[in-house]
Amino acid sequence: MTTHLLVATTLDEALAAMANGARPIAGGTDLVVGARVGKAPLPTELVAIDRLDELDIVGMVPGGSDDPTPLLFVGAMVSHATIMNHPLLAASYSGLADASALVGSPSTRNVGTIGGNVMNASPAMDTGAPLLAMGAMAVLQSVSGSRTVPLAELWTGPGTTSAGPDELCVAILIPRRMGEEGSAYVRLEYRRAMEIAVVGAGAAVTLNDDGTVAKAAVALTAVGPTILALTGLEELLIGTPLDDLSLSAVAMLASEQASPISDLRASDKYRRHTVGVMAKRALEAAGRRAAGETIAIPVNRAEGIGAARNAAAQNGAAK
Amino acid sequence: MTTTEIPRFVRADGPDKVTGSGRYTADLTLTGMLAAKFKYSGISHGRITRLDVTAAREMAGVLAVLTDADVPDVHYDPQIKDRTLFARDIVRFEGEIVAAVAALTPEIAEAAVAAIIVEYEELTPILDPEAAMDKSSPLVHEDWESYEAGSWLVRSGNTASFSSLERGDVDAGLAEADQIISSRYVADGSHAAPIEPRAVVAQWEGNKVTIWTSTQVPFDARAGVCETLQLPTNRVRVIVPHLGGGFGGKCGFHFEAHVAALARTAGRPVRLVFSREEEFTIPDRRREGIVVELTTGVRKDGSITARKANVVIDCGAYIADTAFFPQLAAMHAVGPYLVPNLMVESQIVYTNHQPSGSVRAPTAPQVCWALESHIDEVAKAINMDPVKFRLKNAVDTGMVGPLGQTYEEIGLRRCIQQATEAAGYGQELPENEAIGVAIGWWPSFASASGSYVKLDDDGAGQIITGAQECGTGAVMTLRQLAADELGMKPEDFEIIYQDTATGPYDMGATGSQTLLNNGRAVVEASQQIAEQLRELAADRLEAAPADIVLADGKAQVAGSPESAVPLSKLAAIAGSGKLLLGHGSGSPPVAPPIVGANCVGDQGMASWVGPQFSCHAVRLRLDPETGVTRVISVHADHDSGTIINPMGAHGQVEGAIIMGIGQALTEGTRYDETGKQMNTSLLEYKLQTAADSPSIHTQFVEVFTENAGPHGAKGLAEAPNIATAAAVANGLAKLIGSPMRQLPMTAERVWDTISEGGS
Repeated sequence: MTTHLLVATTLDEALAAMANGARPIAGGTDLVVGARVGKAPLPTELVAIDRLDELDIVGMVPGGSDDPTPLLFVGAMVSHATIMNHPLLAASYSGLADASALVGSPSTRNVGTIGGNVMNASPAMDTGAPLLAMGAMAVLQSVSGSRTVPLAELWTGPGTTSAGPDELCVAILIPRRMGEEGSAYVRLEYRRAMEIAVVGAGAAVTLNDDGTVAKAAVALTAVGPTILALTGLEELLIGTPLDDLSLSAVAMLASEQASPISDLRASDKYRRHTVGVMAKRALEAAGRRAAGETIAIPVNRAEGIGAARNAAAQNGAAK
Repeated sequence: MTTTEIPRFVRADGPDKVTGSGRYTADLTLTGMLAAKFKYSGISHGRITRLDVTAAREMAGVLAVLTDADVPDVHYDPQIKDRTLFARDIVRFEGEIVAAVAALTPEIAEAAVAAIIVEYEELTPILDPEAAMDKSSPLVHEDWESYEAGSWLVRSGNTASFSSLERGDVDAGLAEADQIISSRYVADGSHAAPIEPRAVVAQWEGNKVTIWTSTQVPFDARAGVCETLQLPTNRVRVIVPHLGGGFGGKCGFHFEAHVAALARTAGRPVRLVFSREEEFTIPDRRREGIVVELTTGVRKDGSITARKANVVIDCGAYIADTAFFPQLAAMHAVGPYLVPNLMVESQIVYTNHQPSGSVRAPTAPQVCWALESHIDEVAKAINMDPVKFRLKNAVDTGMVGPLGQTYEEIGLRRCIQQATEAAGYGQELPENEAIGVAIGWWPSFASASGSYVKLDDDGAGQIITGAQECGTGAVMTLRQLAADELGMKPEDFEIIYQDTATGPYDMGATGSQTLLNNGRAVVEASQQIAEQLRELAADRLEAAPADIVLADGKAQVAGSPESAVPLSKLAAIAGSGKLLLGHGSGSPPVAPPIVGANCVGDQGMASWVGPQFSCHAVRLRLDPETGVTRVISVHADHDSGTIINPMGAHGQVEGAIIMGIGQALTEGTRYDETGKQMNTSLLEYKLQTAADSPSIHTQFVEVFTENAGPHGAKGLAEAPNIATAAAVANGLAKLIGSPMRQLPMTAERVWDTISEGGS
């Protein structure tokens, strides 16, 4: 049970508290809910970071000396609600907006943050796959300094990260999306709110002028101990159009590389099959966005089975 | 009636609930109140070899620890007395209460529960109800024969209750058929899942106890306390604060006696509040798993020649209120169809699962799902459109039904015609979309029920009733009935309810019966006051009482509205003389006789008062690559007699349909191999959310029924929960090419069925 709660007013104060053993709390959507269902008791010492306005910022920052590409800075305190409604993110980092728009319910999205989602390190987290596909990094800061860690190196297993106990995730950095880049996140869900991904896939695509693939990345949700980056895509996709043939090949690749478990939500067999379907759909949507098409956020509600009921009702039944 | 024409219905309890000013049981705090926790068996089947509560009793802050040794030696349950408050010798499901603790805080109570030592000789769990029927099966209740039980029950070993329905000659009927179709369907158990986990608070004053509890049936809860703690009814008062939903799951007597016993021993008030996990696993009100086997003989012209069926219901460890389920399930295996020859055998069988109990339309959604899936198979076998098949075979006004009940005017065929027409049935649909259609029926339950109505000297009204509001709006609608009789407005009445010490008996929020029975009582009580008001007005207006009309808050002479006196004035006169007090109860309507059928284990479920009928047409879309199904729209037509409160009625249908979609697609109890439930949280037990709700179009086929409730009303709370899952199944079967054999029809099961070669 928590005996001390420090409400930090500056980042230094928060980092000092963490150096002394406090755990950070922002929206509390994982920490508090987890404690209430008996997953893990609340830490004895907590430091609330929800009033640190400097962590609630979205903007571009210059790249480093080794790679001068500008980066998108998403402060750790930025909520899912902000992400899904942010014009820049929705337009150019659509996969992340797709993911944030699917998290929990409106109230979860209002208090749940990107920093919390990333650091909770659930293999079923929604923002993980699109962030990994976009090559995102986490900025970890402690009283002794700051470092930037690619997400692939941050997540070490279900609920575990390579961050030290005194390190606070202060931001997520995403390389600026250049040219005709598009991204998307699609998940398998049994219902449309208060849901967790059964499986999911995030994709980021850059197209050549002729519409063939110049660059592509896909990451998979809930089919391994961490979010899983798909390997071997280049051989399949570079220089080819995103058509039924190449998309089916990616679906097979995703099914092959997945290492899902069986649990209450799905069997390993079903997960292995459906993650391929999700990979194909995410890549297809990312490709269309890269080609300049607008697909509403989130893809799950804009397309196919998830499309709005009004559109369906208009073409027949409710007359 | 379309949505725009529905008059505004202002619920008396609405503002309290919406603003948060209303109080639920778990909100109550009494001076010196303790927290209760239970020690559960945690195993599905075992013999207690050691039970030691010494350490728990000695813990600081623990004021009471009770076991079977500390309460009267009483077996209870309404139809078969197979249960004790605390486990005695044998534990029969994972949620069996072995001991109860009351302590200063929930944390201390939890630590005390952990300090209770129980050792078991583990016994093999009996989990498959079909296997449990075998004579060689071990028994869930070794002593079943010694239990006191209703003489009408047919019992044998693990078969807790058996019923059959028989008419004509089923073998001869099958011999006449051109085609015989046989199917087997398996429905998993599910849950009522009310938003409020249950809570109980008990406080003794002298030798009397007051119990605040989240029950749908306060009088049943009182009866259970009186039976198990051996108290007369007038020393037990049960009060229900606002109830946070029930859906049947809060019917019956549950933990009121445990908490009252703790409070008596501790000498302090005690409060029990369930966690969500406890709400899923402990109460004896799981919706039953059912296996249904159906065989139908049909002629090429579409007429049914015979039906043979076998229904096996998973009772779980104790009978609770389920002894009548076999006969009710058997009726649903027949359905509202003309079937000249039938033989249905139906049984509820003990297992080591959590006990089943009445959840909204018990047995009906599952068996209707099986029967209506089967009916579509039968129609397909003779190349007949399934809607045409239903119109040909459905019961109708003046007909003799399959069990020999002759129907007054009923609206089933109109329901089928209207729902399918409104849904656009038969039109071309986009790829991967289909419309499934199913019909259902359900009784109205007649019961004793009472109410008082009074007008005080300022003319303000009160309805003092034993009826229980579980969210349906039925009790709220009582105001409208009283207002109509007295020429007043619903808002002129306050309702005093949910307190066994003030209201007369009512069966509770169960069996869709509140408006049907308590409505009659309120009308009768109001009529007595109306009579008095007419007499008072007649004196003042120099007219005959028969010529006085009560309207707009006044008593006036018929035909001369200028000759009138306000009711408040009459109430003031009565206030210093003969008071305006009415009391109503009335005789419950009686079901018509059954003719020409034979019912073994008959429990009065083969002939129905105020039979209700429905047709649901569900339009859905399937994602064939994943098996995910999305319901787009539901057209629901219902004959529930006269609709008293249209807005309340529409709300009932909409809620029931969303619940039905959950049963169809995402809800279902999952067990491990030892019989313990695995999905005991709202993340893993997937209720439908508002975001999943389809567009719902409800129409009522209002048929006046003499033999029913006030103004010809039938029940309504359960009927709309029956046909939805079946209609979803029939839509899916069209898209997959073969029926789904297991409920819920989860995405993975649909995908499996598609992968196995459905076209």
